[in-house]
Amino acid sequence: MESHSEKQKHHHHHILPTRTALMIGGTLLFLTFVTVWIAGVDLGRLNFVVAMAVATTKATLVALFFMNLYNDRKENSVIFATSFVFLAIFFVLTSMDLFFRGKVVVDPKLMTASQSGSKLAQPWISTPELVAKGKEIFSVQCVACHGVDGQGNGPAAAALVPAPRNFHSDQGWKNGRKPTLVFKTLKEGLAPSAMASYASLPADDRWALSHYVVSLGPTAALADTPEDFKKAGVNPNQAGGGSEAVVATIPVEFALDQMEVKPVESERNPHLYAPHEARWLERGAPESRAAQIYSESCVECHNSKGEGGISILRGSVIVRALNAGSEGMKSQEAFNRWVIQGLPGNLMPGFGQYSSSELRDLYRYVQGMTAGHSVD
Amino acid sequence: MSNGETALKHHHAHHFASADDEFEASKQGMWIFLVTEVLMFGGLFVAYGILKGLYPEMVHEAHKLLAVKMGAINTVVLITSSLTMALAVSSTQKGQRDRAIVYLVMTFLFACCFLVVKYFEYSAKFHHGLLPGANFTNEELKDPKSALFFSLYFMMTGLHGIHVLIGMGVIAWVLRRTIRGEFGPNFYTPVELVGFYWHFVDLVWIYLFPLLYLVG
Ligand code: HEC
Ligand code: HEC
Repeated sequence: MESHSEKQKHHHHHILPTRTALMIGGTLLFLTFVTVWIAGVDLGRLNFVVAMAVATTKATLVALFFMNLYNDRKENSVIFATSFVFLAIFFVLTSMDLFFRGKVVVDPKLMTASQSGSKLAQPWISTPELVAKGKEIFSVQCVACHGVDGQGNGPAAAALVPAPRNFHSDQGWKNGRKPTLVFKTLKEGLAPSAMASYASLPADDRWALSHYVVSLGPTAALADTPEDFKKAGVNPNQAGGGSEAVVATIPVEFALDQMEVKPVESERNPHLYAPHEARWLERGAPESRAAQIYSESCVECHNSKGEGGISILRGSVIVRALNAGSEGMKSQEAFNRWVIQGLPGNLMPGFGQYSSSELRDLYRYVQGMTAGHSVD
Repeated sequence: MSNGETALKHHHAHHFASADDEFEASKQGMWIFLVTEVLMFGGLFVAYGILKGLYPEMVHEAHKLLAVKMGAINTVVLITSSLTMALAVSSTQKGQRDRAIVYLVMTFLFACCFLVVKYFEYSAKFHHGLLPGANFTNEELKDPKSALFFSLYFMMTGLHGIHVLIGMGVIAWVLRRTIRGEFGPNFYTPVELVGFYWHFVDLVWIYLFPLLYLVG
């Protein structure tokens, strides 16, 4: 016995006293009843917080006393705690990507809008409305590089050489700080810098942006000279400055430019639908079975109007519009084949579960949708 | 106290300076193993977080089909088994072999009990067509994504159930060695480490139960 207790002292082995063990066990059971009881009371979001707090308390008790971390060497606690640090990193990074990434929203109409010139008679003349509109677009399209205030200090600016322009300064302008010249910058970009062409934006939006950018400067902009108009490809004698040449844009890039930053408010899976899809789905259960099938199975890729675009779930695929010209819309048979077989890979899954009458209704529904009686 | 001598027979491996070093190293090894376990279950918990974040209503509707009562009974069973395991370890440390045997047997029986309850729960789920994948035939749940919740439910509780089974195996193993009188105040590393493993199984369940059954 003597040698035993000596050894024990030497070992520093801690023995959990039975009384402590029973107390911890009792507390754990008590907390279990508490958590079950509280779950029955509706506290809204708090229920989750409470349940996790109770679980964490229980887990801590188990780790500290049953697993003896309380009396163990500290490095073992550090080792164990590290796993939770990494778990937290795993969780936080994953949720940031999933829940806070801007939505990819493509409105096919935008892509053609730049082909027609401005709708205003003299868009190069600044108005408060244009500046306000420009500010709005700026806050979505440009802040990443130019910063919220246009000081050239957005989050992406640090990595850029040359740095994004500070619009509050007169210095360093390459094209120049006049509405027409900014308009030119936006149309052509400033190759080879990170300043890309924004020709895919409608001309009116670009004019609005130009006036906003100029309005930020330290001095009033100088008047546009005939040379400036010429450089910008704008004809001041024609309403709207004349029509612009059609600019070909690659849809994927275009879509990425359209990254929507505004959070989407919607009850139903707000994270998975673009605003107009969400609104459409929100109107409640669509009346007909065909509409129901479409909203369940097709809307995620083909959008609520059959226009396609970039699927929000599968950002890499661009789906063409379903219209009379589509191979798969030529006949009921072709349609059935498309829908049942799908496409290889994960482009479009096959839908074998629908009956032929359901497919008939669905075909008519899609036809109706794209023939102008659009659902939205 | 008779097993004191048997325990003294334990010789530490030659690459350790002392039995104490060996004990500390084994324990640290176990903690590192438990870290990998946290990360393995962690993946599933992150998946759960994503599912709940993306489809809160679906998860809420689906979780109502789980039997809270059975889950709660199992929580009590598992916590009590953790207690008996802790007592088995301290009895061994004190050289009370007979008590240690009783506690280990109790722990083992609680584990059986847990699995029996799980068996009833699982059969009810099978019966309601809540199996994952193509076998999901439940008509009650309107949201077609509900199958995802049950896939995760089976993955999480299934992986945990496998841990319970393995736990029973190692408990049976230390029980046998305890009966043979191989452990005592001077050497009880396997009992303690099996204890860690078992408490970890309890830890996972402590989170699984509220997440799946209660708050959904
Ligand atoms: C990817 C980053 C980035 C984004 C987004 C961006 N810019 Fe730029 N911008 C730059 C950089 C970099 C420069 C400086 C280029 C240089 O000095 O050659 C610049 C320069 C400019 C200039 C100065 C042109 C001149 O004549 O010197 C204007 C005007 C401008 N940007 C407007 C905009 C507007 C309006 C938007 C939003 C539609 C926008 N930028 C979006 C990076 C960006
Ligand atoms: C996962 C995304 C996805 C889903 C869901 C989906 N589709 Fe498609 N669909 C596609 C893609 C991609 C194409 C090919 C488009 C292309 O050629 O550009 C396509 C093409 C088609 C076509 C032929 C269009 C053509 O150009 O000939 C039809 C018809 C069609 N889908 C109908 C449906 C119907 C009906 C549903 C719902 C039951 C559906 N799709 C669900 C991705 C999807």
